[in-house]
Amino acid sequence: MDSTQLTTLTGVIDKKMNRQLKQYLDICARCAICKDACHQYVGTGDFKYLPARRAELIRQIYKKYFTKTGEFVPALYEARDPDENLLDELYDSTYACTGCRRCMYYCPFSIDTAWILSVAKAILIAAGKGNEMLGQLADAAIFKGDNAEMFNDVMVSGFEDIQEEVRAITGNPNSQVPVNKEGADILYVALAGAHSIRPAAVIFEEAGENWTISMFEAANYGFFYGDVEKARLITKRYIDEAKRLGVKEIVVPECGHAYRVAEFFYEAWSKEPMPFKISHILEKVDQYIKSGRITVDKGLIEGKVTYHDPCQLGRNGGKFEEPRDIVKAVTDNFVDLTPNRAEQWCCGGGGGIVAMEEFKDVRLASGIKKVEQLKASGATVLACPCENCRLQIEELNEVHELGLQVWQVIDLVVAAMPLKGTKPTHV
Amino acid sequence: METYLWITSVWGIYLTAVVFFGGMAWRIYQWATTPKSPVRLGMFPKPKSGAGRFGKLLADTFIAPQSAKIEPTMWIFAMAFHVAALGAFVGHLRLIREFPLLPAWLGEAGMNTFAAWSGSIAGTLMLVGVLFWIARRTFGPYKNLSVPEDYLLLFLLLGVIVMGDHMRFVYGGVVHAATYREWFVSLLTFKPEIPAELLASNVGVSLGTHMLFTDLLLMYFPFSKLVHAIGAFSSNLVRSE
Ligand code: HEM
Ligand code: SF4
Ligand code: SF4
Repeated sequence: MDSTQLTTLTGVIDKKMNRQLKQYLDICARCAICKDACHQYVGTGDFKYLPARRAELIRQIYKKYFTKTGEFVPALYEARDPDENLLDELYDSTYACTGCRRCMYYCPFSIDTAWILSVAKAILIAAGKGNEMLGQLADAAIFKGDNAEMFNDVMVSGFEDIQEEVRAITGNPNSQVPVNKEGADILYVALAGAHSIRPAAVIFEEAGENWTISMFEAANYGFFYGDVEKARLITKRYIDEAKRLGVKEIVVPECGHAYRVAEFFYEAWSKEPMPFKISHILEKVDQYIKSGRITVDKGLIEGKVTYHDPCQLGRNGGKFEEPRDIVKAVTDNFVDLTPNRAEQWCCGGGGGIVAMEEFKDVRLASGIKKVEQLKASGATVLACPCENCRLQIEELNEVHELGLQVWQVIDLVVAAMPLKGTKPTHV
Repeated sequence: METYLWITSVWGIYLTAVVFFGGMAWRIYQWATTPKSPVRLGMFPKPKSGAGRFGKLLADTFIAPQSAKIEPTMWIFAMAFHVAALGAFVGHLRLIREFPLLPAWLGEAGMNTFAAWSGSIAGTLMLVGVLFWIARRTFGPYKNLSVPEDYLLLFLLLGVIVMGDHMRFVYGGVVHAATYREWFVSLLTFKPEIPAELLASNVGVSLGTHMLFTDLLLMYFPFSKLVHAIGAFSSNLVRSE
């Protein structure tokens, strides 16, 4: 293959090399224990979605260009160049991966296939084969950060509308949606869309929290795209806002990767210590309920309720109990999915896959385990604190006619709060 | 035959020792000098204390409870193989020195019987484990995951085990540890010699072939996926970071 292209692509591996990656590439026994962990392999039976196979493509390049044995006897490892064939398969297996890390959970060596695939994404981008959709969404977010004043008026009037809705729900004409409030304790970094702000505002206001919201949303398509610099810039937008406003704490919304990015990735990307406490909104809500800052009544939610652990919040974020405690505070009719917590099946909607039309078939096929779990639980209401999971499960709900109501956890909380205003209906 | 033994079981072993230990040291040096990932790659549940992390590391590495849950059959065979391999390794220490205590309790004949039983069990388990792996790789629906390296290792392993078992089952009652010890200690003291007793019977061919496969396996070891034997510890530790 073209030698400059080759130098570029192997250069990416060289630049991204670190101890964990090297060990993962050196020690995988190709035992395939990870196969049954991956909802995509289980759902499709397609070899290219077997976790170790996805990593194997990077290993083949690594063996050829970074090890002596692979250089001299490439056939022993099926070592090869990152040519079109390899890159095409790599594109499918990499961008389809939801980054759930269920394979890592079961691997005898805890090999983080998703981490190996973060290098795969960098290689694809360098080869001009990054996913276009994710790239565009990332660029749009960065554009918004660079041209904030263009968006300001629209955003502010949107927040005012939401404030009206919040007042209608709380029945309190003084309820606020404070925008860019200096000296607030908390900056709530929501998702784009009123649904992510409204219930949170109701809860913050009822809890008497000193909070504020600003213009930038928590979703990070740079992370899904696989470009560390873009991902950093997108997160930096709200980190800078938090610094400017002088808040003490950043609260991220019901979004799996937003929490993981803020809590686990940003420090490494920006090479500076995070100057704020990072919390997930459900940690705050759980504290409000337990300390009596907000009141919730049992019995206002009808039906059997279950809970789905989003991979980035559960297995990869460690928030297993807070959301469950909240759900159990609003209903006595709770049933857990099996398996749950760290072993929870990925719903199939993570890693940006819901934004990529081309992966629709594998995405829906990969939801089969989630569908089985939901059916077995007998639940009629699902609480799910992640936007991507909700989009995926709503679609599975339709396709498989599960008759399930899919709720944000904070919507359930608001529905269970004895408020003077009008109850929001579930949409 | 004498030449064959000198090549495989004297000079071959010296060469293997150099390549194996040098290779492993080089591998560890490479890992140690590559900077750590800037991102914490741990997952949950995560032990809070250092002792908890250490305990989880040992459990994950030696018992792999998660792997047991997802593929029990594979886990049983892999466990049987690795435990048997450890048993065989311990048994081979008799080549350096007779075990303390055991012979005193069992008497010489008793010790030989004990060795015959434990060696036979370990040898059989390893053989079964390797045959299972070969079958699983060759006939599994994901057989395309395997590369020649996998088969090469399994082939070398099979050679080691079959020839080891051959010595155990065919010559076990004829040639005892003391004879092999004479040979092995002579290597360790750098005054290599091959005892006449080994040359006298056909056991020499088996020993030579057992060592040929062992030499090849161990020389390739540091450059193969078998470095998981040491890498498993640090990669499992990262899980709790
Ligand atoms: C300590 C933790 C260890 C774990 C968790 C572990 C795990 C595994 C696993 C999962 C396989 C996959 C088998 C396959 O499908 O082919 C394997 C193979 C193997 N392991 Fe280990 N292992 C460990 C230590 C060791 C050690 C200390 C040795 C030392 C000799 C060793 C030697 C082998 C061999 C020879 C194979 C067969 C290779 C093959 O399949 O080609 N392992 N091990
Ligand atoms: S379970 Fe781990 S060691 Fe086994 S094939 Fe998968 S990634 Fe490799
Ligand atoms: S991270 Fe999840 S989707 Fe990706 S390979 Fe592993 S199990 Fe499959």
